[in-house]
Amino acid sequence: MSVHGAHGPGGERGHASVRTYITVAVILAIVTALEFGVIYIRQLTPILVPLLLVMSAAKFALVALFFMHLRYDARTLSTLFVGPLVIAAALGISLITMAGAFLVFGR
Amino acid sequence: MSDAPYAGAPPAPAIAHPHGGLAARAAAVGSWLTTVDHKRIGILYGVSGFAFFLLGGAEALLIRLQLARPGSAVVDAGTFNALFTMHGTTMVFLAVMPFSAAFFNYLVPLMIGARDVAFPRLNALSFWIFLAGGLLLNASFLAGAPPDAGWFGYANLTSRRFSPGPSIDFWALSLQVLGASSLIAAVNFIVTILNLRAPGMTLMRMPVFVWMTLVVQFLILLAFPPITVGLIFLTFDRFFGTHFYDVAAGGDLHLWQHLFWIFGHPEVYILILPAFGIVSEVLPVFAGKPLFGAPVVIYSGILIGFFGFGVWSHHMFAAGMGPVADAAFSIGTMLIAIPTGVKIFNWLATLWGGAIRATTALHFAAGLIAMFTIGGLSGVMHASPPVDLQQTDSYFVVAHLHYVLIGGSLFGLFAGAYYWWPKITGRLLDERRGRWNFWVLFVAFNLAFFPQHYLGAIGMPRRIYTYRAGAGWEFWNLMSTVGAFGIAAGVVLFAANAVGSLRRGARAPADPWDGRTLEWRTSSPPPPHNFDEVPVVHGRDSFWREKYPGRRAAAPPRPAAAPAHGGGHEQVHLPAPSVWPIALALGLGVAVAGALVHVAVVVLGALLALAAAFRFALEHHDDPAHVDQRGSLGIDHRKVAIWTFIGSECLFFGTLIASYMAYRGRSVVGPYPAEILNIPLTTLSTFDLLMSSLLMVLALAAVQRGDHAQTRLWLAGTALFGLVFLGFQAYEFTHFVAEGLTLQQNLFGSTFFVLTGFHGAHVALGVIWLLSLLVLELRGRLGPRDAMKVEVAGLYWHFVDIVWIVIFTLVYLVP
Repeated sequence: MSVHGAHGPGGERGHASVRTYITVAVILAIVTALEFGVIYIRQLTPILVPLLLVMSAAKFALVALFFMHLRYDARTLSTLFVGPLVIAAALGISLITMAGAFLVFGR
Repeated sequence: MSDAPYAGAPPAPAIAHPHGGLAARAAAVGSWLTTVDHKRIGILYGVSGFAFFLLGGAEALLIRLQLARPGSAVVDAGTFNALFTMHGTTMVFLAVMPFSAAFFNYLVPLMIGARDVAFPRLNALSFWIFLAGGLLLNASFLAGAPPDAGWFGYANLTSRRFSPGPSIDFWALSLQVLGASSLIAAVNFIVTILNLRAPGMTLMRMPVFVWMTLVVQFLILLAFPPITVGLIFLTFDRFFGTHFYDVAAGGDLHLWQHLFWIFGHPEVYILILPAFGIVSEVLPVFAGKPLFGAPVVIYSGILIGFFGFGVWSHHMFAAGMGPVADAAFSIGTMLIAIPTGVKIFNWLATLWGGAIRATTALHFAAGLIAMFTIGGLSGVMHASPPVDLQQTDSYFVVAHLHYVLIGGSLFGLFAGAYYWWPKITGRLLDERRGRWNFWVLFVAFNLAFFPQHYLGAIGMPRRIYTYRAGAGWEFWNLMSTVGAFGIAAGVVLFAANAVGSLRRGARAPADPWDGRTLEWRTSSPPPPHNFDEVPVVHGRDSFWREKYPGRRAAAPPRPAAAPAHGGGHEQVHLPAPSVWPIALALGLGVAVAGALVHVAVVVLGALLALAAAFRFALEHHDDPAHVDQRGSLGIDHRKVAIWTFIGSECLFFGTLIASYMAYRGRSVVGPYPAEILNIPLTTLSTFDLLMSSLLMVLALAAVQRGDHAQTRLWLAGTALFGLVFLGFQAYEFTHFVAEGLTLQQNLFGSTFFVLTGFHGAHVALGVIWLLSLLVLELRGRLGPRDAMKVEVAGLYWHFVDIVWIVIFTLVYLVP
């Protein structure tokens, strides 16, 4: 994966090359097509939800790492993003679970 | 989009001669309206916060007058409801928070050795938006419709059915405005603290007050989005007939309680941690010792902030969440007492064996330790669900929260006021009056609120406007009222002391208390540029080390001062005053208030806000001083700011998506998702948005190369792909409406349109941003030196893209 430039003053390295960007975009397009395709394959029904979540997470990570340059930028910026993301995910999962908790555990 | 802190001409002197003409007075007023100086903005927060504090205090006195005797008719039940609602809302959002903001604004840049905050104009914008929100909330009195559903605004008491007038609209809309102010300030202060520290000031060398400020800004950043979403749902329910809090349509009233308390509990720490930071500065100075275990105090503050996100449901034990949730939140709540207790013991250890100087500031700091301990212990009692069930909705809870917020927050803020008053005004407060102030407040506060523990324990419910004689509540209610008026007397004593100091107080030297931190290194009050030379920091308590180099074996030699951005005093550039922050806030305020009047007012305000936003963004576009905004992290302020903002957006969209997921399958009527969602079409729009991200990075690469033709091509392409996505969404929405799915049709319609609609609004905002950059490029005003502006826009664009990746999967694909 080639990059432009050397390390910046804030621990940043140069961003990805145009070729890398295009490669990432092609992968994103393919994964999107796969997401669309797998929902019509009946044999995949038992693992469909985790499969979709993994593919979605992969796309999310590709955009964040390459297009948003987190792979190349200072770790502080990753922390500013990943910290709130983890808290958002934890709160979201708690909220969804508790919305159904009345059914699972009873009042 | 943003502004550098050191650019522009120094502001003209703004102090009017007491006998000066009208023009001089107008100039003085104008200089305050357009100021971007963090110190003046701090004073504005302090003064306006004090005005709202008096208003909230007057409301409290009316409440206590009504309850002083059984069967009173000072106010009727409806007025009483409005009084306790406005008292709580005012004290939380318009008094204690702005008091803390006053200290953040005035002191943080001084304490970290900076000349201002990272974004001075955004700082001014935060203040004016805050003021607009506060005025809007209190305009409800003028409209004869003050909010009356409690500061917690529980659904469905807030629904149009049970609150038909505009009172709740005032409340919901003004809280949204106030939230916007807090979020902007949070981003600004996070960037300031991370990126504007003086040379040598590592994170662990920062004063504890600065650390607590940082923790509080992250709490605001992450806790306000969930309440923003909750308020959006409420506003949509009231204005557009959606069903978020409509049980008959499948909605769940607990959703509001969750969203409110996910915000509400961290809010407690937003209110108390600044006071903890103040006390951690005051105690070492007046004990003549370093803060005992300072790193542990810092880590405890961080832990309190972190745990604060995991305990919200202890406010909902009485809602019936089930044993597992009760147990989990009970344990979490008990855990949070540990770092809090650590702080208290560290403060006591700081005092132990110290050379105590019993100043008024120290009195208030010690008062906080004692009073907050009482409030904290009653808080631990609430952590036990069976005990909590007995205390819920009783006066015991009222006593607890006032021991935390007056005994804790307000005592800490008074300690800070007495400690930093000489620095801010250049004059000393009278210490004898100060001690009277403390003791009157201390005795009156305990008289007002300690009996309420007992009243709660013997069964007096909160929020009742009267009671019958014979329940055994009469005497202690009367005592509580006497105490409340005593608190008012204490506040009057403070005001008298402050006015006396301003008129004839003794002049304060730069360092009247033998302080330990950098703000005491400069004059009182500080010059507009704060420091003639930016100090170099060699350790914690850096100014103390500088003054007493021989006191520590390993103390470094007296540090050399660093030149201020390459020059000394004469070469310092200060941020220029700007009219656009107040104009933008005015537009925003008019637009929001317009929702209560007429849609034309909304449009007018929005147009004003949009125009002001453009002028704001372009004000310094061509100024070379604003090109390089790298700070102590070596990263551009704007880049740190956009990532910080994106962190907040994670919580915003996370809450929207979680609410959608929580409501999946709960619609009681169709159409249902499986009947109506067009997955092939949405796959195409998803592909379109993903490819727009590719064009965006190509635009950034082109602008970095200085390739104007490619920059135009890819910027236009990105905006075009964004417009195509919006076109897909417009088609989808139109089709759904034609099929019978509207906002009002069912719960699915409500959640789907609000979630995807807000995402679409973000895309639309991104398109406007990109088109603005394109116009600049077409006018030849976008070159390689502006690459950061394109990168920041790009980061926002990509974030909107990854949010859609999640929405596409969870809303459309997951069966």
